Amino acid sequence: MKNNSSFLTKNRGILIFFAVMLLAPFLIGLFEGSTPLMIWGNQGSLSKFIEGLGIEIFILALFALSFDLLFGITGLLSFGHAMFFAVAAYLTGIALKTLAMPFWGVVLLVLLAAIVQALLFSLVLPRVKGITFTLVSLGLASVFHIIVMSSDMINLTGADVGLQGVPVPAFISPVTERLRFYVIALTLLVATYLFYRRFVASPTGRVCVAIRENEDRAKMLGYNTTIFKVVVMIISSLTAATAGMLHALYQPSISPSIADLGFTVTGLLIVLIGGVGTLSGAIVGAFAFRLLDFTLRRFMGESASFITGAIYVIFVLFVPYGIVGTIRMRQLRTKPGWQRLLGMVKPKN
Amino acid sequence: MTVRETIIETQNLTKYFGALAAVDDVSIKIQAGTLHAIIGPNGAGKTTFFNLLSGNLKPTSGKVFYKGMDLTGKPIHRMIHLGIGRSFQITNIFPNLTVHENIRLASQAMEDNNFHFLMDTAKMDRCEERTAEVVERVGLKSQSLLPARVLSHGDQRKLELGMILAPDPEVLLLDEPTAGMATEQVPELITLIQEVQQSGEKTVVLVEHNMNVVMSVSDKITVMHQGKVLAEGTPAEIAANHEVQTAYLGGLYDLKV
Ligand SMILES: Nc1ncnc2c1ncn2[C@@H]1O[C@H](COP(=O)(O)OP(=O)(O)OP(=O)(O)O)[C@@H](O)[C@H]1O
Ligand SMILES: [Mg+2]
Repeated sequence: MKNNSSFLTKNRGILIFFAVMLLAPFLIGLFEGSTPLMIWGNQGSLSKFIEGLGIEIFILALFALSFDLLFGITGLLSFGHAMFFAVAAYLTGIALKTLAMPFWGVVLLVLLAAIVQALLFSLVLPRVKGITFTLVSLGLASVFHIIVMSSDMINLTGADVGLQGVPVPAFISPVTERLRFYVIALTLLVATYLFYRRFVASPTGRVCVAIRENEDRAKMLGYNTTIFKVVVMIISSLTAATAGMLHALYQPSISPSIADLGFTVTGLLIVLIGGVGTLSGAIVGAFAFRLLDFTLRRFMGESASFITGAIYVIFVLFVPYGIVGTIRMRQLRTKPGWQRLLGMVKPKN
Repeated sequence: MTVRETIIETQNLTKYFGALAAVDDVSIKIQAGTLHAIIGPNGAGKTTFFNLLSGNLKPTSGKVFYKGMDLTGKPIHRMIHLGIGRSFQITNIFPNLTVHENIRLASQAMEDNNFHFLMDTAKMDRCEERTAEVVERVGLKSQSLLPARVLSHGDQRKLELGMILAPDPEVLLLDEPTAGMATEQVPELITLIQEVQQSGEKTVVLVEHNMNVVMSVSDKITVMHQGKVLAEGTPAEIAANHEVQTAYLGGLYDLKV
């Protein structure tokens, strides 16, 4: 079972994605008649708009990826996942605005907070299982949502209005340095994805899959499953926090809606659309989700959410393995099919 | 036979389910390096007794000692590392993972790099070698890349056995390894168990309903009945035991050993 194929061939898909996404702003620039140099100087307006859409998708994809690691790979369904994202977003906002902390200090603080939160969620892991974990995580996140929304916190979080006017360091300003922001977000997404792929193929990752399939059996094989779940929780929380931090830096304001159940469900939907447990499905799903939402809203205004809702229900019912999952299964059948066909054509020797 | 050390000892082991004493004051000693069979009618408490030995259930009272060490309260995931493995009467595998992956996970647990999360599992050579060896040994080589759920019942039983062989424990607790298997497949599996036991000087505790098998492979037999130990002895002693004959074997088994 040795696999000696190189890094390039093993990760061809994501590397092509990376290259295409890097070129995309410049190609779009050609459509609107902007030279690459103008794009480089953040001048083309259509390409800037597309970069913005891209950044939003990359952030969603990072968030969905972190959800897939917990849910799709390890089998932990957290309904409090939005909290990992929201804590990072609010912390970034507050640290920059109210505390006026230096940027790298903020990054460090946010990542530390992500680990602490993961450990907090992990406290209940050895004791609860399945749906109980889902409900406990929902409870934890609801407490956070209530705190963010409370009027006592208005000076810090902006309560129900949200946190406005976060001063973003000039070198990654989403207005004047949008291309740079776009490349950073894209690179973080691709790097995280590559890391996740390796993780899932590692001994630790295989045990996580075993936990998803049959946790009791994994324990009896000799694995202290709690430790594995805590490790996954920390990795997932760090990823969601990275997404939350990017969100706070990119958006002009941080709305409390990113802390509620709806946002966790967005993550779940993206993973379902893309394919549970496939990792790449998180990226594909984020594109499908954001672009569908964008198009429908464009043509139908606010009533679009009804239609998007209906589309997702139908999608999940009829394409239960998601986009990537379905493609993989088809490959399984078409490959031997092609071989059989070739076998018929090729002369036997 | 040479004098053997006691490797597992239970003292007044008792387990109640509500008012039912599924295991009732069982004190037995299991000698290292022997094949010790536990027999008894359905509902006698054999599986419950196994669950107490393997840590899957906590006893209502009484203790289990392994090499003189009290096992009570030890977490389940420690057991295989102490040298005790068990298999299940009702097949307990990872149905959606391949046969190879099922066995590999069982063998990987004994490695010390389970937290290297940038390492490629396929490059853990010792683990891969062990996996291939065990897959071959239980006769599933040709099905190694199939998901475990598509295997026939008999092959799933072989996989179940493979998952306890892979980590190579000192003590193997086998709960009806041949349960539900086609009769012609039974001897093959029993021979494999005997080979493993004898070549590795292993201790095997075997629950088995097939009397011909039990009588021919066991060094010692414990007969359970309604949670209690009814009799204990060599196959010949058990076959000659009048109480066992009436209570359990009565007519079912031809006692000409
Ligand atoms: N979890 C449980 N809760 C309640 N009662 C149980 C439980 N497990 C077993 N029992 C009961 O305890 C008794 C002993 O069951 P056990 O499964 O240990 O018997 P066994 O000797 O393994 O039988 P078999 O030969 O059918 O496998 C039975 O009466 C059974 O109904
Ligand atoms: Mg039983």
